[in-house]
Amino acid sequence: MLIYLRKRIVSSALPLVVVIVGVFALARMTGNPAALYLPLNATQQMRDEFTARNGLDQPLLVQMADYFGGVLRLDFGQSLRTGQDAAAMALRAFPATLQLAATTMVLAVLLALVVGCWAALKPNGVADRISSFVSMAAASIPDFWLAIVGIWVFAITLGWLPTSGVSGAGAWVLPIATLLLRPFGVLVQIVRGSMVSALSEPYIKLARSRGAGELRVVTHHALRNAAAPALTVAGDLTVGLVNGAVVVETIFGWPGIGKLMIDSILQRDFAVLQAAVLLTAVAIFALNILIDMGYALLDARVRPVTARA
Amino acid sequence: MTSSLTEPAAQDQLPGTENRPSGKGNGSQDGNPNLFRLLLKDRFATVSAVLLVLIGLTAVIGPALMGDLATKQNLLFANKAPFSLAHGWEYVLGSDSLGRSMLARLVVASRTTFSVAVPAVAVALAVGSLWGVWAGYHRGWRENVSMRIADVIMSFPSLLLAVVVLYVFSPSAGNIVLILALTRIPIYLRTARAESAELQSRTFVDAARTFGARPNAIIGRHVIPVVLPTLLTLATLEFCYVMLAESSLSFLGIGIQPPDVSWGLMVSQGRQYLQTAWWLSIFPGVAIVVTTIAANVLAAWLRIATDPAQRWRLALPRKRLIARIPVKEAKP
Amino acid sequence: MTSSSRVLSPAAVLKWPALAAGALLLLSGCSVANSASAPATAGGSLRVVLAQEPPTLEACESNLTSTGVVVRSNVTEPLIERNPTTGALEPLLATEWKATSDTEWTFKLREGVKFQDGTPFNAEAAAFTIDRAVNSKLGCNVEGYVFGDADLKVKAVDATTLTVTSPKPDPILPLRLSFLEIVPTTTSTTAKVREPVGTGPYKIEKWDAGQKITLSSWDGYWGKKPAYAKAEYQWRSESSVRAAMVTSGETDVALGLSPDDNVGDLAVDYPNNETVALRLEATKAPLTDIRVRQAVNYAIDKGGIVNSLYQGKHKVAAQLVPEGIVGHNSTLEAWPFDLDKAKSLVAAAKADGVDTSAQISLVVRNAQFPKVTELAQVLQEQLSQAGLNVKLKMLETSQQLTYQVRPFAEDEGAVALLIQHGNQAGDAAFTVDQYMLSTGAQSYFGTPEFDAKIKAADAASGEARKKSFEEVFAYQNDKLVQFAHISHQTGILGKSKSVNYTPNSSSGDELRVSEMTPAS
Repeated sequence: MLIYLRKRIVSSALPLVVVIVGVFALARMTGNPAALYLPLNATQQMRDEFTARNGLDQPLLVQMADYFGGVLRLDFGQSLRTGQDAAAMALRAFPATLQLAATTMVLAVLLALVVGCWAALKPNGVADRISSFVSMAAASIPDFWLAIVGIWVFAITLGWLPTSGVSGAGAWVLPIATLLLRPFGVLVQIVRGSMVSALSEPYIKLARSRGAGELRVVTHHALRNAAAPALTVAGDLTVGLVNGAVVVETIFGWPGIGKLMIDSILQRDFAVLQAAVLLTAVAIFALNILIDMGYALLDARVRPVTARA
Repeated sequence: MTSSLTEPAAQDQLPGTENRPSGKGNGSQDGNPNLFRLLLKDRFATVSAVLLVLIGLTAVIGPALMGDLATKQNLLFANKAPFSLAHGWEYVLGSDSLGRSMLARLVVASRTTFSVAVPAVAVALAVGSLWGVWAGYHRGWRENVSMRIADVIMSFPSLLLAVVVLYVFSPSAGNIVLILALTRIPIYLRTARAESAELQSRTFVDAARTFGARPNAIIGRHVIPVVLPTLLTLATLEFCYVMLAESSLSFLGIGIQPPDVSWGLMVSQGRQYLQTAWWLSIFPGVAIVVTTIAANVLAAWLRIATDPAQRWRLALPRKRLIARIPVKEAKP
Repeated sequence: MTSSSRVLSPAAVLKWPALAAGALLLLSGCSVANSASAPATAGGSLRVVLAQEPPTLEACESNLTSTGVVVRSNVTEPLIERNPTTGALEPLLATEWKATSDTEWTFKLREGVKFQDGTPFNAEAAAFTIDRAVNSKLGCNVEGYVFGDADLKVKAVDATTLTVTSPKPDPILPLRLSFLEIVPTTTSTTAKVREPVGTGPYKIEKWDAGQKITLSSWDGYWGKKPAYAKAEYQWRSESSVRAAMVTSGETDVALGLSPDDNVGDLAVDYPNNETVALRLEATKAPLTDIRVRQAVNYAIDKGGIVNSLYQGKHKVAAQLVPEGIVGHNSTLEAWPFDLDKAKSLVAAAKADGVDTSAQISLVVRNAQFPKVTELAQVLQEQLSQAGLNVKLKMLETSQQLTYQVRPFAEDEGAVALLIQHGNQAGDAAFTVDQYMLSTGAQSYFGTPEFDAKIKAADAASGEARKKSFEEVFAYQNDKLVQFAHISHQTGILGKSKSVNYTPNSSSGDELRVSEMTPAS
């Protein structure tokens, strides 16, 4: 396992560089930030000064070499917008998103396992119909819309929760509820789908014929097999959350990395964008390694008959 | 009504999701008329199919019927409440903030929405699945390189892509399709890879290999049919995701831009009127939800209907089905 | 190798994601969770919600709306302050000032004022501030905004006397200096300072990046102690969320609300000095013909837009500056809405060989102000009605700026750019030099004759200045028609019942907490 881990980490280094180079180049295709940071009546001379001061007048390759030189010294550059260290800004925003994403995913996976298994027991039964209707509806509501309606209902009309912000446990409810719906809806479908297949496999019949109880059949035999696709999809969804909590963070004023990223894109704050992307990319790669390890574990142990013994 | 005649034809033109599933149905031994009779037995699936056909027809021919109704403004007639025929049928769903007919705008928006969502899902599904199955079947360096590429795409901020495309090109539907398709490929890639990697060590694949079948033939004949149901379930869910992603891009100001209009854009633009004119964002939201659910129900049904091991469930009368626990009769 | 020995228990299956998530939670620390604030009660503390987090609180960038709204007159103070209601300059850190020659102004400074770090305020500090903001390599925003490339010579004659010399005669130098917030000589000259020290009634207590800024009242303030001991700023980018916060009592003041946010009687309207207009690129067909530009003016139903989109809160505009700005011409009348006239003007231009079917790009910045998307679509429709070929282009800020300032982005046709111009300074020169000089950074064209008029107005002072700018505005409507004015905007501020405050035209740029008092 350790050798595998080392290989994975080594083989992730190159893709990371690719991501950063890509972001670096693409970001600079979106135009010179001078106009955004200087007053509208700035003269051409002031704009040239700005461009030179931030090294944006250099050829792209020179800029990139400078940047990577800095990265090797752990210098990720300065924010154009705030003048702060870009890496510090990204590191400060990251935990907020991570907490949100982790909590959401744990809840989503647990809920989806329960609901998905329940639905799979009787395919096309009442429970199945209801759960798939609810989960599909959940997954198809625009999140920003739901967030605003949620604020309106729970914060203004009922007064149970704060509208936004990060203070107190109540402030977590609406953002998590908003984020939760989609992963939950998708996972219910996936869990249900693979459970239905798993339940009709021969070894389940074998287990049943040996007199195993229904609960035991589901949890011990079917769920193990069904877990693999669910794990893959859950991983992808988590990546999506880490990358895309933008909307929720924007609405609820949650100081996370998604908001930082969209702001730095729109504000052409290149250093911060690169730091934020690098940080999320590292997290995503780490997450993918975790998923693959989990998958390898399931893969090696789950199969009742190993074909290549 | 000439429904029995027109319906299959309409289904063919439909840009909606059921096209792909039915393509798969043709691959197996089921005859289409048979499938159609089966469909009628399932009330939910029937309703979904009819809804999708209607929505699809709307998207195809609706905009032409509406003419300039969707763009005709009347500032003195803004934000009129829905469900009243007092102002004519055009305003039965109310008017928007510029006094345009909500009904007409929903119809026109359906076309943009579909012309973004359907190609985006189709492209991502086709590219991602084939690539993933191939990578998973061969394993080794092909798998490793593919997965790292997937990692790169996944950790790449799609928002940046959207801004780049907006900045360098124009915010057309085609460009949004490109972004959404590209960023969703890894989803299929990873899932297909995982499933196919697991399958390639199974006995029946091994058997095919010992009989000297070529890798591509094995992938096509043995791996893809098994992997496809999961991928299709994923694709129908993705269909909804893509509509929502498009609307999130609108929310952030980097999606479809007026004067084009899509359901997502309508929800996004209508959000500021939630308290004064709820229908501006609720109706397009409902349209997204209904389309998604219908597509998913139909896909779930198709998945069962085209799976020989599951099909018997649909042939049963409803009452007995509910009472039944699928135990020993499972397989013919 | 039996299967049963290798089976993972279901608990183990579930444990993996849970463990991973738990580990993530631990790793990420609790920086968010533990920031729970004590419920802020009125009286002691005033809570404000802004549209965005200030990028910095640097004093020499306080002409930026998002920075100035927190810093100006709260943390730092200028020498001279412009009264937003009367437009008159009032003494603050300078008690009196006069022009001592063509190019030199002398300022008498207030005595007994200290900075929040204990250093005294004197002519040296004032000179230091001006040097730092205007003559340094820092690239301060205020430098470009107010002073352009011109460097100023400053001299501290004695502790309370300061002279400032401009390269050219500058009748509005004191007004320009009102944008400079004075900082002590201990301030860095090599880097911008995120949390400045000033002479104001409040000092920066804490800035939780991403979450809130807290100011607390400073005991050593030279003037009257403000009513609120603390001011807490938060930010939410959605105006409906800001509205919700003031409705639910989570904040006392919410800035930048939209007419549809529906906060009822918590909404306070105020003129915010912003004017909306179309700027017409007259160097490309069909806008080359003045009749087409006039037609654009006639085709826009300004009254309808104001009444329907903005619930009658905005005012139909006839020029780029609203009332209260020096140079505003109150005799000018807005172009009437006359579609037939517009059509016939277009037809006449067409008859004379102008290609009226050439495309005009209506370029609009996304989310620039409330309902900008709706306005853009209305404009597109109304101009099309007049027989013009208009294509709407909604762009994000950075891209729109390439159309807004020189060198202008090339488009496939003529551009009609939707501008929102705010004259924060109160003098028409800040508008006209930009938008009307033939070389102005935001002007498509001009004529030598018009340029001469503008230059003359810039150099005039007093009543003559006022008159000359009034003529400039009249002349542009008459002879140039680079602009199709739409409306003077009205800002909406949400204010809880527990606060007494009347917003004014500068509230969005400079929210003076010391002017607020708890009600009853």
